[in-house]
Amino acid sequence: MEAYLRYEDVEIGSVYPPEPVLFEIGDGNVDAFLAATGNESDLYDERHGARRAPSMIASVYLIDLLTARRSPPGGIHAKQAIRFHRSLAVGETLALQARVVDKYVRKERPYIVSEFEARGSDGVLAASGRITSIWGKDQ
Amino acid sequence: MNADISQVSAIGGSAPGRFIAGESLPVLSRHVTQRMIDDYAKASGDFNPIHVDPDFARNGPFGRTIAHGLMTLAFAAQMLNAWTNGAFDESGEIDVTFIAPVFADDLLEITGTVEEIFEREGKPAARVRLMCRVGDRQILAGTAIQPFEPIRKS
Repeated sequence: MEAYLRYEDVEIGSVYPPEPVLFEIGDGNVDAFLAATGNESDLYDERHGARRAPSMIASVYLIDLLTARRSPPGGIHAKQAIRFHRSLAVGETLALQARVVDKYVRKERPYIVSEFEARGSDGVLAASGRITSIWGKDQ
Repeated sequence: MNADISQVSAIGGSAPGRFIAGESLPVLSRHVTQRMIDDYAKASGDFNPIHVDPDFARNGPFGRTIAHGLMTLAFAAQMLNAWTNGAFDESGEIDVTFIAPVFADDLLEITGTVEEIFEREGKPAARVRLMCRVGDRQILAGTAIQPFEPIRKS
């Protein structure tokens, strides 16, 4: 595993990861997400031959994206904005990438702001948004 | 009075009549346990020790483990999908600030109120003020936006 990035080395404008990270929406990760959040909605039952996936599985794939940022443990999610552009289906693969758009220190806490996009294999935007994180203690 | 989420989830189809300023959204309640936090960590792959390692968390800013902010966001999305019969998944938007942590054994309640109906990209949309609390403690602040199809009179 690569070493953790230090806060002072995070550059505004940097893109992570350099190539989009792929996230496959499968029955397994959808079932685990629904179970962990106590979501028993019939929206995600298999119907008409295709199974819909909850768009907020974004909260799972964003972790893959943040892991690619190589931030140290102990960080905290401070703000989150997400816009969904279409529904998701089990079986599709999303390509994820983010860009650091701001960094600042407030009340002695170091913040990083990133904007992300999730696109389907056809390149069409599925979700986009902004992540504001408090950086964990540098290792 | 807000409707219980089990009643709202039974409403079928998009019901534009619900997109009215002042409308109360359903209430979603979750008793958050350390087991839920651990299960969410496994589901999401987020094993940040501030969530799952009591020894690490004891020396952190909150003195104990906290739930993932994104788990709270997932609960908010669940409530919004119940309100919109799944339309939130297709075209919804959410923008929140996490104000206070959720701890194990907290009883979390999420709801909202339609603040206004406005036009976005040529379509009417509802702006919802979200409310997420554990007792008197506000957990997050923010809004959701849900575009909808207007009723066309023939």
